[in-house]
Amino acid sequence: MTLEISNLVGGYSQVPVLKDVTFDVKDGELVGLIGLNGAGKSTTINHIIGLLKPFSGSIKINGTTLDEDVKKYKQQIAYIPEAPIVYKELTLKEHLEMTMLAYNLDQDVSWKRAHKLLQMFRLDNKLDWFPDNFSKGMRQKVMIVCAFLTNAKLFIIDEPFLGLDPLAVNDLLNLISERKKQGASILMSTHVLDTAQRYCDRFVLLHDGKVRTEGTIEQLRDLFPDAGDSLNDIYLTLAREGGQS
Amino acid sequence: MKQLFKRRLVNHLIEMMKYLRLVFNDYFVLALLFMIGGLGYAYSNALKQLHAGTWWAPLVIVGVLLISVQLGRLATFVKDPDYVFLLPKESEMADYLRRGFNYSLILAGLIQVLIWFVMLPFVQVTTKVSGLELLMLLGTMLCLKTTWLNVDFARKYRLKQTWLLRGNRLLWRLIVPVLILGNAIYFSYLVSLLAAVLVALDSLLSRRSWVNRPLDWQTMIADENSRMHTVYQFFNLFTDVPSIAGSVKRRRYLDGLLGQIKLIPKNTYLYLYSHSIARDNEMSGLYVRLMVIGTVFLVFIKGEALPIILCLLFLYLIGFQMIPFYFHFDDNAFVHIYPITNQFQMKSFQRVLFLMLSSVAVVFGIAVIAVNFDNVVTIAGVIIGEALEIWAFIWLYVPRRILRGERNRD
Repeated sequence: MTLEISNLVGGYSQVPVLKDVTFDVKDGELVGLIGLNGAGKSTTINHIIGLLKPFSGSIKINGTTLDEDVKKYKQQIAYIPEAPIVYKELTLKEHLEMTMLAYNLDQDVSWKRAHKLLQMFRLDNKLDWFPDNFSKGMRQKVMIVCAFLTNAKLFIIDEPFLGLDPLAVNDLLNLISERKKQGASILMSTHVLDTAQRYCDRFVLLHDGKVRTEGTIEQLRDLFPDAGDSLNDIYLTLAREGGQS
Repeated sequence: MKQLFKRRLVNHLIEMMKYLRLVFNDYFVLALLFMIGGLGYAYSNALKQLHAGTWWAPLVIVGVLLISVQLGRLATFVKDPDYVFLLPKESEMADYLRRGFNYSLILAGLIQVLIWFVMLPFVQVTTKVSGLELLMLLGTMLCLKTTWLNVDFARKYRLKQTWLLRGNRLLWRLIVPVLILGNAIYFSYLVSLLAAVLVALDSLLSRRSWVNRPLDWQTMIADENSRMHTVYQFFNLFTDVPSIAGSVKRRRYLDGLLGQIKLIPKNTYLYLYSHSIARDNEMSGLYVRLMVIGTVFLVFIKGEALPIILCLLFLYLIGFQMIPFYFHFDDNAFVHIYPITNQFQMKSFQRVLFLMLSSVAVVFGIAVIAVNFDNVVTIAGVIIGEALEIWAFIWLYVPRRILRGERNRD
């Protein structure tokens, strides 16, 4: 059990955005976090990476909470934010070095891996460029390369597909599968439901700060037999229902 | 982490040098020398008039020293992307921040010494004090500043009792310094020094209890950005700082005024200008600051010609500062896409300027009339002068000035 969220209540100020959220991500599992804008996906993720403090409830990574052991908790995470965020004054190469430094990675091994990743995302000739001047999609690739350079046990990926070219989307999905096979857990929030349906092992559907439902696509189909076959149909039905109630 | 801090410190110092060179250009250094000379002369003259036992002197001393303790925030040099890239290093951030603390303490300590040095003669003349006691006072100030910075340090962590932390800020940075400094000046330098040392030690020792707690990245990054913003704002007085982008305030109370604009195509620029001037802190802040300073001047100045000159000068200054705002939206793609011609841009800008300047004129006018109630010539002069100036400025000067600006931009 890599990530375990129980009864999480939290948000930005005093008003809770998340009301009693409970779900988990097991070893070697890719879980899709699905929800409308404002449902609480990014808030949940901000709580997991420790940017926000839970009002109540707990978040455990392999049995450790942030309060118990900051080092152990944080070293297991790699995070790709929704909006790529890079250092204005660092080159691409320095961003990679920063990641190696932060995660205590072996330089030689990491550079080999880095070159493979850079080649995959066609960034290998831009090592001395400043990512701050890149397009959104290219900056997103920088974030992906940095995250997959690490040996993290838990990958938190916030809406990765926006702005990525189709080739990069495909490469990212391959990277995710590869890490999954090695036993890493991945939590990914997204709006691209047909991709999610094909790749995610399980789905957590957030609505209005609560877990509306969760399970594999088969389980969801069984739960909502009238809603249709695809994740898209099921989700649209649920979201409309949620809006009315 | 050590390397990281060092690198960032060096980069920061290089950047500061770059700006300081621009600030301390030849003219400014000359002006500064004259100013320091003049102030020094005035200070030494004022000291001759003072004698021991002046009742307000201790209050001034406590006040100045209290302000001095507030100077210099904790420099951390953290950057926005740090919460992603340094995520796994969080447990080692304490070491990084400790370096920031030491650097800030040295800098703030120098400020304390400087202010203490300037205050020396004043303290000596107005209170009976020995050399040793003055040294104790310096020690007290340094200890209080250490505590102050350490509270700023603690703020970066998620402490268990936030109410205690919040209490801490007010308590350790204001209330305790007031009590200790007051005690030093009025009663005993020795007792204050001992108290300050104890407070500082207690504060430093408490670190052990929180450096292993989770960091509050958002507060830490926001604090550093606000600190750097203050620094850049200072430099911005002398030169253009690229990273200074004005913050925006909602200002709901102005909605009524802004709601008056009719939503028709020719009001597009009027809508844009009025909304952004009202909400852009940089612009409206400058406007309000100059208006307040001008009013204060006018309230204290009586005379025939002087109020009129001051009034017109401030009106011109305010108007002049607003001119660059004409180009505020040039980098915005939307205004180039909108199906409007920019013949109304100037008209709209003039309307906004007229509203702003005439409000200032009314405030200034009231101040002048209230102070120089019996002087008809001044009152008439101010009213006619202001009206003429606003007309000439907005309809003669501004269009020409902006035309020239546009040519320079192309």
